[in-house]
Formats: sequence, structure tokens, C-alpha cells
Amino acid sequence: MSRFAQPLTQLIDELSKLPGIGRKSAQRLAFHILRATEQDAFALADAIRDLKAQLHLCSICHNITDVDPCQFCSNPSRNQAIICVVEEPSNIASIERTKHFNGAYHVLHGTLSPLNGIGPDQLRIDSLVERVQAGSLQEVILATNPTVEGEATAGYLLQLLRGTPVRITRIATGIPAGADIEYADEVTMTRAMEGRREL
Amino acid sequence: MTLHQSEAIVLRTWPLRESDLLVSLLTRDLGKVRGVAKAALKSRKRFGGALEPMTYVDAAYAERPRQELVRMDHFEAIASPLALPIDYLRAATLGYYAEVLENVLPDHDPQDAIFRLTLAVLEQSQVGRCWMPVTYFSLWITRLIGWLPETDRCTECGQNFAGEAAYFHGLTDGLSCARHKKPNSSALGVDSLALAQRMLRDSICAMSEEPWTRQSGRDLRRFLVRTLERHTERRLNSAEVFSRMGG
Ligand SMILES: [Zn+2]
Ligand SMILES: [Zn+2]
Repeated sequence: MSRFAQPLTQLIDELSKLPGIGRKSAQRLAFHILRATEQDAFALADAIRDLKAQLHLCSICHNITDVDPCQFCSNPSRNQAIICVVEEPSNIASIERTKHFNGAYHVLHGTLSPLNGIGPDQLRIDSLVERVQAGSLQEVILATNPTVEGEATAGYLLQLLRGTPVRITRIATGIPAGADIEYADEVTMTRAMEGRREL
Repeated sequence: MTLHQSEAIVLRTWPLRESDLLVSLLTRDLGKVRGVAKAALKSRKRFGGALEPMTYVDAAYAERPRQELVRMDHFEAIASPLALPIDYLRAATLGYYAEVLENVLPDHDPQDAIFRLTLAVLEQSQVGRCWMPVTYFSLWITRLIGWLPETDRCTECGQNFAGEAAYFHGLTDGLSCARHKKPNSSALGVDSLALAQRMLRDSICAMSEEPWTRQSGRDLRRFLVRTLERHTERRLNSAEVFSRMGG
């Protein structure tokens, strides 16, 4: 038998499913919500409901959006012939902040992760291949993370897309801006040398 | 508080709260330990790119009184898997080592032979040549942990396989001869039995001279993966990639 009334237990159960929230934290949050005003508590509930009801994935690029196609895919002033492939929707915000990219996106929703049992079928790869095969693209930029899984995913996509007339590029990796070469690790330094460019 | 400085291999990380990571680390001095790398996702100063699975590091960490989790202070990469090209199979291979070591090793039980085995297979696991080190690792880890049955004779009757295939079953220990095999057993071919004998005798460097394809030792790998999975009662996700790729 639970120590708490059923609705409270249920809220604790739900909250403890969130990443980084253990049983204890879930309990604390649940009691906080219990003590909150009705207005605040219902606002939270509504926000969660609206999130699921109003947001969905763009049918072209799989970005999270409230309109379909999303603001990037439907914008005629963006170059739809260049697409940047990212792991997660949140990566788009980082690229947009630079104001240096004016193409479209493709969100994979993850990386190949043998350890976690995530293979090509669990990612939005088929639709990327379809976009490439449709024939109007010039360049696909692979912007997965420079981690083992991100690199494996980029390599896998390269294999799939090689042989199409589309130019496939990989984002550069190397020394972070403002960092000191003296403190760069070997892998980073090697990448920086490999990725050097003509001035 | 006891401070440690040891060679180690990063097995896995899991996101914890905020930018902290929970790290499973195979250390040379204490064996497998788990601990928290505070602010690992925010500050690259203390860990750099050294938290990727199967990075060989020089690790500084602290054991805290009456606490199961150690405090990870600082890692410096000695050899990173990111230093060489990575494809899907190599990523699966690295993931497989991490998953097996994570599943089979008890905490705080240093076994230098396993540490050396892991370093040796890591060095050999390169794009286009992963099948051999995967097989070598599977065989030796199974043996070092004490789960490898006799590979030259039948567990039932003790007869030497003498140039005949052996048979294994997902639910039972050991290899059987054709006469004593259970229904729905899988065969372990003559070539693979001989390969296992060679692998138990020769160094990995000697084995790397031989030509390898995904078919080489495929039944041996499947037998070893089943053995590991049965003893730990856990499926090996990364081994599924091997099957999917026909190896
Ligand atoms: Zn879109
Ligand atoms: Zn027999």
C-alpha cells in the first residue's frame, strides 16, 4: 500500500519518469504542486496538454512545429536546396543563433546507438534518402555530433547517399573559439589540422 | 576520502541531473567503479573528450567514505576511439566491449588480465577489421570470467570432437557431440572450433595477420554471445548489430 493518497501517488509516479528525477525529487515536486495555487497547477497541466496537442513533427524535416510544413521548410527566402542534418530539434536553435545558415533542416531524432539498441530503422533516415532522391537538392550537410555515435551516423549516411549527385559535407571540428592550442587534446588538435582551410 | 590516480577505460555514461554524468569506469587499480562527473557536459576542462565510451584514460577519482559512488575529478585521454575513423560496425564493436564489461564485471574487483585484453582488442578494432577482435574478445572474456566450457570435447560423454562439429543450445551450458545434442541446437563448425583453439593459444597480433570476413567465426561469436547473455540474464543490444550485418 502506498503512503499517499492515490492521485498524489500517481503524480509522483509520472514525475519520476522524467530524466534526472528520482523518487525523492518527484515527491518534492508533487508536494510543491499540491501546495501551489489552483491557477498555477492548472497552468502547468494545460502547458503539458497543449505541448502534446499542438506540437507535432514537420512532415518534411521532422522538426518540432505547430504548423506543417515548419517555418524553415515553408520559407521561400531560405535555400531549400541545402539541408543540414542534425540529431535533435534542439540543435536547430544552436545553428540558427549563428545567423550564418539559410538552408533547410532534417532532424534524425537520435543517432545510431548500438549500446542502446537504436538502429537505422529507429531514425528518420528513409525520409532523408527520399528527399535526396527527389532530385532538387544540391548539398547535404552532416551536422551530427563529433562523438562515436555521431560519427558512426554521419558515416552511415555518407555510405547511403554516396553515388547521388548531391554534394555531401561534414561540419568542421577542432579547437573551440577562444581556446588555447596548448590545452587542446590530441584528437581535437588532429581534427583541427585535418580541417584546415586555405586563406 | 581516498584519492586515486589510475589508468582506466570509460565504459558508459548516463545523464544525471543538470550537466552531471554518471560514469561507469573500468580502472586498473580498483576494477569497475561508478561515479559522478560533476558539470561534465558544461566544462570540458576536466574531462575534455575523454568521456566517450572506450576511451583509455588517465583518471583521477576519489572514494568517499560510506558512499557507493566515487567522485570523478579529472580524466586525460591516453587513446581515444575518435582518433581513428568510425563506421557503424566499429561503433557497434566499441559499444559491445562496453556493454559486455559493464554486464559481466562485478564492482571493485580488479582483474588485470581483463584490462590488458580490453586494451589489446581496442587497438585492433579499426574500420574494416573489427570481426577478429570482437571474436577474440568474446572468447577470452568468457574464459577469464570462468564461463567458457571445454571447446574440444562433449560435456555429456567427454568424447573429443575429433574433426566433427559441436552443438550448443541457448538454455544450457557447454558443447555437445552430434549424439548428445539437444533438440533445436545450433552447430559450431569444425573451422570455428579450430579457430577457438588457435585464439586461446595465440596472441591477438598473430591472429590479426589472418584474412577475416564477417563469415569467419560467425557461429563461434553467436555461441559466445549466447553464453554471455545467458549467464548475465541480459540481452546484448550491440550484438544485435552484428547479426543484422550478417556477422
Ligand atoms: Zn520542416
Ligand atoms: Zn557426447
